[in-house]
Amino acid sequence: MRNLFVFIRKNYFILLFLVLEAISLGLFFNFNEFQNTAVYDLTSTFTGSINRTFRNISEYLSLRSTNQTLVEELAKLHSQLPKAYYASDAHSFYRNDTIYQLQYRYISAKVISNTTNRRNNFLMISKGTLQGVRNHMGVIIGNRIVGQVVSVSPHFSWIISMLNKDSKVSGKFKKNNQLVNVEWGGGSYRYGSIKEIPKHVEMKKGDTIISSGNSDIFPEGVLIGTISDFTVATDENFNYGTILFSTDFNSLGYVEIVVDLMRKEKEDLKATFKSE
Amino acid sequence: MTTSRVIINNFLRFFILIAIQVLILNNIYLGGFINPYLYVYFILLIPYEVPGALLLTLSFITGAGVDIFTNTLGLHTSACLAMGYARPQIIKMISSGPDSLIGDSPSLKNQGLKWFLYYSLSLILIHHFVLFFLEAFRFTEFFITFLRVALSSLFTLLLVMISEYLLYPKEK
Repeated sequence: MRNLFVFIRKNYFILLFLVLEAISLGLFFNFNEFQNTAVYDLTSTFTGSINRTFRNISEYLSLRSTNQTLVEELAKLHSQLPKAYYASDAHSFYRNDTIYQLQYRYISAKVISNTTNRRNNFLMISKGTLQGVRNHMGVIIGNRIVGQVVSVSPHFSWIISMLNKDSKVSGKFKKNNQLVNVEWGGGSYRYGSIKEIPKHVEMKKGDTIISSGNSDIFPEGVLIGTISDFTVATDENFNYGTILFSTDFNSLGYVEIVVDLMRKEKEDLKATFKSE
Repeated sequence: MTTSRVIINNFLRFFILIAIQVLILNNIYLGGFINPYLYVYFILLIPYEVPGALLLTLSFITGAGVDIFTNTLGLHTSACLAMGYARPQIIKMISSGPDSLIGDSPSLKNQGLKWFLYYSLSLILIHHFVLFFLEAFRFTEFFITFLRVALSSLFTLLLVMISEYLLYPKEK
């Protein structure tokens, strides 16, 4: 027993180091799954308010670009108003609700923290369960992809950015609907990578990739990016390429959360099939 | 300097550096690769006399402080602990003897440029190495992560040197 104490006394520095390192690695591997919200809820009340205060100040600095985005968005919406069309026939803008049933609703939210410089990036936004945000909803900005909600508290939501090693989005070529997977391989936040492009798809630089709508998270046709470079692999079954994201992840001031009103119906449908 | 003065100084430095880190530096990156972590400056400047247990505890708290704000529990903590653990060894390695250490804590002014550069660069490299590799946690991205470690370390070192020159200028 005495020897043990002598040993501990002699080597306490390395022992303490090992103990503390084990604790922190344990924390790292147990609490960094993005689904795990326990610790996040504990700390977000405090850090969230500090981040929000700072964001309120820094918001003034980006007012110009935020305005730009809003004006563009407004112009787009204006162009969809009946007034914007040449009224050749007054009755042609009759909208039949039984044909066009509302499927997507959008909640706008302010970004209160955002990173692009880490390997795994997240955003925090200022809307939560009280405003109708739920887990696994898609997040976009002006029809360009941003990420997915992975955790919600009453007032805030935590969003896994496209710029994360756990983000994988199902996309497709706009021109021929061929499905591909889009990921982010780290490095510059402007560029992502496309995997599993079938051999027979002929592509060229500048081809547009949009969301496929297969995942129930994003509506079909949300812009992901354009192909900036690609490689034709001779000895593999798939080609791969680099994509220039349409979203400027570093200047996100406001985002929109996609609420799929028919999602429950789709999930119920899948569930009934499984149970039988 | 009296002991209480040293404690207050370090206490203030801790809060100021963490605030600078989470509010300003975490929003900075250059070219998607370079990300400075100036808060390690706190661990660099802990006085020599601080016993090992306290040194490790302080490293732990520093890392945890940053982790809480970045929602990366355990990541910065692990990196800071590795740095705190290596610190006494590094000091022993690059100093000619205990008598060669002048003043209370490591400084450019007392130890000279060469000593301080070796000291900061090696500890910053250890910290960044653990941090970036733990964050990526993939060996398929070895080289790109390595590049991030190298470039970010240089940038952090630059900030540390600038702070050192600005805050503790050489007496004439």
